[in-house]
Amino acid sequence: MVKSTSKDAQDLFRSLRSAYSATPTNLKIIDLYVVFAVFTALIQVAYMALVGSFPFNSFLSGVLSCIGTAVLAVCLRIQVNKENKEFKDLAPERAFADFVLCNLVLHLVIINFLG
Amino acid sequence: MMNISRSVSLISLFLLPLLSFSFSVDNPTDRRVLVLLDDLSLKSSHSIFFNTLKSRGFDLDFKLAEDSKLALQRYGQYLYDGLIIFAPSTERFGGSLDSKSIADFVDSGRDLILSADTSASDLIRGISTECGVDFDEDSSAMVIDHTSFSVSDVDGDHTLIAAEDLVKSDVILGKTKIEAPVLFRGVAHSLNPTNNLVLKVLSASPSAYSANPSSKLLSAPQLTGSAISLVSVMQARNNARVVISGSLQLFSDRLFRSGVQKAGSPNKYEKSGNEQFVTELSKWVFHERGHLKAGNLVHHRVGETDEPAIYRIKDDLEFSVEIFEWSGKSWEPYVANDVQVQFYMMSPYVLKTLSTDKKGLFHTSFKVPDVYGVFQFKVEYEKLGYTTLSLSKQIPVRPYRHNEYERFIPTAYPYYGACFTTMAGFFVFSFVYLYHK
Repeated sequence: MVKSTSKDAQDLFRSLRSAYSATPTNLKIIDLYVVFAVFTALIQVAYMALVGSFPFNSFLSGVLSCIGTAVLAVCLRIQVNKENKEFKDLAPERAFADFVLCNLVLHLVIINFLG
Repeated sequence: MMNISRSVSLISLFLLPLLSFSFSVDNPTDRRVLVLLDDLSLKSSHSIFFNTLKSRGFDLDFKLAEDSKLALQRYGQYLYDGLIIFAPSTERFGGSLDSKSIADFVDSGRDLILSADTSASDLIRGISTECGVDFDEDSSAMVIDHTSFSVSDVDGDHTLIAAEDLVKSDVILGKTKIEAPVLFRGVAHSLNPTNNLVLKVLSASPSAYSANPSSKLLSAPQLTGSAISLVSVMQARNNARVVISGSLQLFSDRLFRSGVQKAGSPNKYEKSGNEQFVTELSKWVFHERGHLKAGNLVHHRVGETDEPAIYRIKDDLEFSVEIFEWSGKSWEPYVANDVQVQFYMMSPYVLKTLSTDKKGLFHTSFKVPDVYGVFQFKVEYEKLGYTTLSLSKQIPVRPYRHNEYERFIPTAYPYYGACFTTMAGFFVFSFVYLYHK
């Protein structure tokens, strides 16, 4: 077993970064959007741990709106990825239209559940 | 026909004040008392007791227990409010009177003083068994006490007992403490343990036992020690009161007037405690004392005066009830610090002790619990010697209406913010995604 060093870790990150830089820009935008949504959800969970779960419906709608957004964005990413042969018959415009529709439904539900 | 009915109603109008003078809700003291004697000489030998009753306004009707015209009722109406049975040896009452009609008399809320004595008849035993009191089965047995007998007991068989173990209750025996021992010569009884309405007022000392004083004691006596009750009282659930004494002599002039000195005690009293004991006990049994009435049960929201038809959960409410005590002549404000109200649905959700303004008004305030349903305000007051109070008033409690909740909760602002941020994020993302490059 080769002893792992910090240099190995650096090599790993470097190779990951170089591989990721090859990713198309539209997928990178989606990734950024997912990170934003998950981060917002984490902030709310931390806040709930701090102040207690009193308006629990509000907490749920806040967190679920973030999680739902992230899930829908990941779905969009799977569908518009050129390397994914599963959805090669699906036009990216159709995928984006689905994404927008689902988001509208999600936020309609969230607003109703919020207060 | 019209004339007849008019004259009947006129007559009843005149009779009404006379009728309402008797036992009633507003005037609970008994007025008409039937005294059953097995010997008319008791009228003179127990004259002090009867005269104190007469002087307190009772209308005593003396009858022999065998009188063939005895009746408690006429035309379905009771003729008497109280009954004194001083006929320990009577095997059968005359007229329509029997054990059952006496039980019915008590069941109708009327009061009874029953005195047995040695060789009490089965009839008297039967009536007392109905009241939860069992007399010693041996008809020749008496209460014997070789340590707390009265020194005036000349026979030397120690059956004249100087008893001091009185129940500690101001309402039954009056506020003035009975200093002198109570003289007692008679038969022992025990209380039925399954009857929780009956209690000992005068109990024997631990050294007492029940046996035939004239024969040799062959086996251990059945009734011993302070399990022996000399005088017991029972207050039924309908507030009828019953006094059962094992001694008829307890009420006699001779023991009222006799001095008392308990054996082995240096204290010598000019007069026994009998008169005070019997007088106070008769005041209690004929509802001259310890009779409560409650009413005017009022509740409303804090800051309002009208009684609402329904409460909402978490409402603040004020509750009050008026309790008065009958003093024998008038209703006086009842003062106590142990009256409680329950806010009750299957079990009490709120149990609050009421505070009193010393004018008869008991009040408290509390918050309706966070539970909705049909509740009751309940005042269940059972105190030794007092009549039982049981009031309840039903009131429904509803949950919040949907528009009674807070619209915006400050704690939830971060969640609102997160929702609108993700919406804005979605908008920005769509824009960037569609128009990049």
